Order: sequence, then C-alpha cells, then structure tokens
Amino acid sequence: MPKHLSRRNFLRTASLGATGAFIAARAPQDAFAQEVMIERAKNPRFLIVLSSFGGASQVDSFLSRRESEVPNAKALNAYPDDMVQTIGEFRAIDMKGPSIGAIPAAFTANQSNFARKHQNDMMVVTHTGTSVNHFVAQQRSINGNAAWHGRTLQEAVALTYGAGYAIPNVHLVNGTGFTERGTDNTLPAYVYGERAPTPNLWPLSLDGYKGIAGAPDRKLFEAARKFRNERLDPSSDFFRTFSGSQRVKHWTNIRGDALRGVEAEDLITKLMLFPDSEEMPLAAHGLQGSAIGQKVRETFPNYEFDPLEAQAALAFMLLRYGVSVTVTLGPEGSAVFKKGVKLGEGGLGEGDIVNPPISFDFSHQANRQVQAVMWNRQLSIAERLISLLKSEEFRDGQSFWDRSMIYFATEFGRTRRRPDNAMTFGSGHDLNNGSLIVSPLANGGRVLGGINVDDMLTYGFDPTTGKPEPGRHMTEPEMYSGIAHALGIDTAGSNLPDMRAMRRQA
Amino acid sequence: MTKHIITGLAAIAALAACATAPEPGLPQFAADAPAPVASVDPRVKFKDGERYLRDLSANLDMPREEICKELSRYDCMTDAFRIVLGGVEAPNLLVNEPIENAALTSPIAVDRVALHVCSNRVRMDRENPAKAVLFRAGAFGADGQAKNPDAKWLNATADAIYGSILMRSPSEREIQNLTAYYTQVSDGRAINSPDVAADWVILSCFAVASSLEAVFY
Repeated sequence: MPKHLSRRNFLRTASLGATGAFIAARAPQDAFAQEVMIERAKNPRFLIVLSSFGGASQVDSFLSRRESEVPNAKALNAYPDDMVQTIGEFRAIDMKGPSIGAIPAAFTANQSNFARKHQNDMMVVTHTGTSVNHFVAQQRSINGNAAWHGRTLQEAVALTYGAGYAIPNVHLVNGTGFTERGTDNTLPAYVYGERAPTPNLWPLSLDGYKGIAGAPDRKLFEAARKFRNERLDPSSDFFRTFSGSQRVKHWTNIRGDALRGVEAEDLITKLMLFPDSEEMPLAAHGLQGSAIGQKVRETFPNYEFDPLEAQAALAFMLLRYGVSVTVTLGPEGSAVFKKGVKLGEGGLGEGDIVNPPISFDFSHQANRQVQAVMWNRQLSIAERLISLLKSEEFRDGQSFWDRSMIYFATEFGRTRRRPDNAMTFGSGHDLNNGSLIVSPLANGGRVLGGINVDDMLTYGFDPTTGKPEPGRHMTEPEMYSGIAHALGIDTAGSNLPDMRAMRRQA
Repeated sequence: MTKHIITGLAAIAALAACATAPEPGLPQFAADAPAPVASVDPRVKFKDGERYLRDLSANLDMPREEICKELSRYDCMTDAFRIVLGGVEAPNLLVNEPIENAALTSPIAVDRVALHVCSNRVRMDRENPAKAVLFRAGAFGADGQAKNPDAKWLNATADAIYGSILMRSPSEREIQNLTAYYTQVSDGRAINSPDVAADWVILSCFAVASSLEAVFY
C-alpha cells in the first residue's frame, strides 16, 4: 500500500469494487485525489455527443421562421406559415416530400413530436463559429476552439467523473473532428477517447481470453501474462534498451491493472449487443449476448444495418453498465438504405433512404429536405436513447437520464439565401447557427438568443440572465463553458467565462 | 506438487541452464548478463495489426487468411480489431490515420490475437506432427514414456519459439526462463502429460508473441 494512503482510504477503495480498483490504479500515490475521484464517480454526469455532421441548421428546425414574420421572405430561408409550429419557445418543422432533392425517395420527417415531448429539457443556444471547414469546425464544437488548453468536452467529462469507470470516454463514430483527440497532453491516458468502430465485434476486444478455442485454462493464461510482464519482458535486451520509450511505458501501464479491471467487469458479455446467430455464433464459442440486449435491440431494431442505431444501442449499454461517462455517436458520411433495398430497379420507396450521403451536408443539394430528413433521424435516435435512460434507475429513484446531457454538436449553420420562393434549393456553410442541447441539467424550455428576421442570422444573449442581446454573437469558448458548467465540471483556473444562463439551476 | 516432480524439474532447469540447480519455479541468476546500453533517445513504433499478423503468418507457417479468426469467421485484423491495432479504414469508417497512442483495449486485442495464433499453431502441430513447427515430438523421450519433459526438447522448443516469432536465438537467460516456466504450467497436473506440454508450448508462444519485442519495433 502506498505510504500516502490511509488505511481508511484503502478500505474505501476496496469496498467500491471495480470503481475503487480503477481509481486505485489511476491515482496510486495520491490519497486526496482518490477521495475526489471516488466522490465524483459516485455522483457522475453523462455526456452524449450526438454529432450532427454537415451543419444541423437551427433555421431549419427550432429557430425557424414563418414567411409572414420575415420582411424579405421570398429571398431568405423562411418557411410557409403553415409548416412552422410553435411549441413553447421553440419552433418545429414537419415535412413530407416526394424526393430528397435529386434522390428519388419519398420521405416523412417530424420535429414537433420530439419538441412537444421534451421541450422542458430542450435548450437552444445561438452562437457563431470561426470556421466553415468541416473538420476544423467539428473540432471546435467540442473543444471550444481550444478554450481550455485544448481538451475536449468529452475529455473534461472523463477527467471529472471517469476515474472509476473502465473506459470513460468512448467514440462510436470515427474519422470526424467530433472525435479528434484534444491537444491537452497533460491529461491521464484514460480520459482520451477509445475508438469502438464496430459495435458487433468491438466487445471482443474487452477480454483477451474468452471465446478462443483450444486455449489453456484461464488461470494458466493469467499466469502466462504475469510471467511475460514480470519475467520475460524485463529480461529482454529489447526492454533494457528501449524501456525509456513513452510508447513502451504507456503499453506496460495499460496492460497492467487497467486491463485486469476491464476484463473483471465481463464487458465482453455485458456489451455484446448482438444475439447468438449464424452470423454471430456466440454460443459455439462459449460466449453469450448481453442480458439487456433484447431490450436494446427492440429499441433500435435496425442495429444490424444502420450504423447509427448500432452506435446508439452500444452507447446506452456503455452508460447503463457503468463503463463510460461520455459517448460520442453520430451519422457517418455514407448513405444508409433500409435493409433489403435494391438499387437500380426503378426508384426508391418512402423511407428507403435512412441517411443521405454526407448527412446534413447534402444540404448543398437540397437544404430543406435534407435538414428535415436528418433532423428527424437525429431526434428519433435521441428520443429512443432518452427513453432507455429514463427506464433505468441510477440510484435513489434517479434515472440515468436525470444525470445525462445530449449535445447535438455540429460544425456550422447553412447560408440563408434562396432563389425567390424556392422550396428546393442548395445551401452553403455559414458560421452563424445555434445548437440543441437536451438535458435535465440544462436551462430547459429556453431559447437563449434569438434570430434577426432581416437576415435570418442568430444573435446572442446575456451569459448570466439569458436575456436576448441583438448584436451580440456567442463564441465557441462560451458554448464550451456553458456545457461544461451545466455538467458540473469545475473549470477553476481555466479563465472560461461564467455561462450561468445555460444551467438548469441558474 | 509432489516431491519427485520438484526434483525432476529442478534437474531439467539445471540441464537447460548448465548451471547450478535453481529453486523450484523460476530460476535465480548468479549474475545478469551485461546490460545493453539503454537508449538515450528510445524511439519505437507499434507494429500495426496487419504487419503483426503477416509476420506471425510467415514465421509460424500459417496462411494469413486462416491465422486468426474471431467466432471462426471474422478476421482478427481486417474485421475485428483493425482500428484498435493501429490500422486505418478510410472507405467506411473514415479512419485515415492510425491511433496515435495505444488504446486501453489494444493490449487486450494483442493478447487475444496472440492466443488465437498460438492455440491454432499447436493444434495444427498436434494434428500433423510431421509438419509441426512448435510442438514437435519428443517431449517425453523417444518412446514418450519419460516421467519428465526431455531437457533437450525443452531447449529446442524454447529456441523454436524465439526463432519463429522474434527471428532470433534466445539468450541463455531466456531459455532458462521458458524451461523453468514449465513448472508453473504443470503445477497440480501430471507433469508428463502431452496436454500439459501442449499448454506450455501455447503459453510460451503466447508470452513471446505478445512481448514488447514482438509488439514494437
């Protein structure tokens, strides 16, 4: 036992099971740090980043405006009056159409159902970004343009609450700036995002032994690991020559207690979304599906062919089983078709295209239809995640949802101009936009900021009171700070602005 | 462990080491070999999964497409652990660059792949002894009746494991480590069982194939 740790502290971490084991491994020499980690691990907040690739526009959703409200409506992106619904402080667009621009697939899209059901947890905050480059703007949506030494929101959440969790920060969507590692290299290794690119097979990487035919007994396998780590490696010339390498140090660190902690949780079973089947012959290899797999699969029935549904299903399981405190998911760049759809045989049926190519960014081709389809997709995923999180008790009558936030991170907005009275038109990237945040922790039921009907650009708000301030534009660091504070993250010493208006208990 | 087994294994270790009899279990060294000079600027690279598997495939004489399959149908690298093991997959996953630092799950995935490969290799060796690569005949003497594993066989197997996986001969110390490790594998079981010997080969192969020297270059 390290000399800095009291007997009381040691017993306390031991009594916390896996949580205590992770904390003991991650702060082995610091009793005070362990105390803080324990308290935070017991009282976490969960951040779900639902990345909205391509520019999820508020002007086409919750800040939409009626043509009758906009002086130059024929040239700006204002909607026919009867399409715009008002729900509390929010607007919503429901739309049906015969095609998504050039994609010959009918669609039905709905925003109002979500707004009606979740308006008390919804908060729309306006802001203006600093880049219309996809990757750069994606990064800035989660690091606030390097607002806090470059650490991302996910890393900040993992640092604050994740020490007692096996894999605190999991990235289910990959290859985007939303999941790019932050630039604060001072953080402990466990807070950086772990990539989980294939929800069906990724759980296999959570146990080095289970399901391997012909392997010796597990006890012998564990002894072999110990033999390798303590005897074989240290005696090699390679180790004695290169043991100073940071990569080698990192490797030997994570293959120790952290690895054993992950395996002890039996995550290979708990997170196995897929059931035993011909394609996933689990039972034949001594494996089995998750105990909550059926419930999750019923909620996301398209998990087999829709990557976003599979991501969402695994995201819920990661939170529910106490594996992670933050998950990042989102649509990818590829088109997704409904299962069984055959192309080149005379057009597509209604709903056959689940995700247009390049997601929200297909707005370049057909702004309104793409925004409608993509918002419908994102809100449907969010609705089902919320439903699952509400159905599971965290502790003392509180649900997981009571501690969660869904941040619809996006790069930028879309340009506002359109050919006179056009219903179908393409749009470009625009720095000006806003973000949807849904959470019991946020200042729900509120639109913070507003929209100038003369140019359809958003304006900001007073960071303390939330009072609209035409002429003011909220910055990326302000958004970052508001989200961090709503999640209870201590940003002392960061010089981040106080964004009291974005917190529930303002 | 019975007394005669301890005695027998001590003798094996002594033969293997050509040194004084070690204590039961792992050997004690009278003096370490001169340590190589530690690099003042140690730079190593992670051997990404595809390179790792291709090396094992070539060195252990196992077809690349069969060397490691999860659930008997998914290639360990291409399908299962490509990103975790430092690969890229631009067309579908948009991952254009390998992970900068090993992920928390990377060592687990490496262990898993190494165990798959070594278990498969020994299974193949047992199915076709004439073409055995690691688990060759003679573990318990020519007639297979010896009470203890043959010292020459232990040494030769240790040499084959290092030679096949790391493409070099083991040091005396490394041979001692592996041969003495047999006592751990056989603990509580019949020391002259072919299954025990096979387990020792699998686990020794696993330990070397997942060692730092095998994973980095």
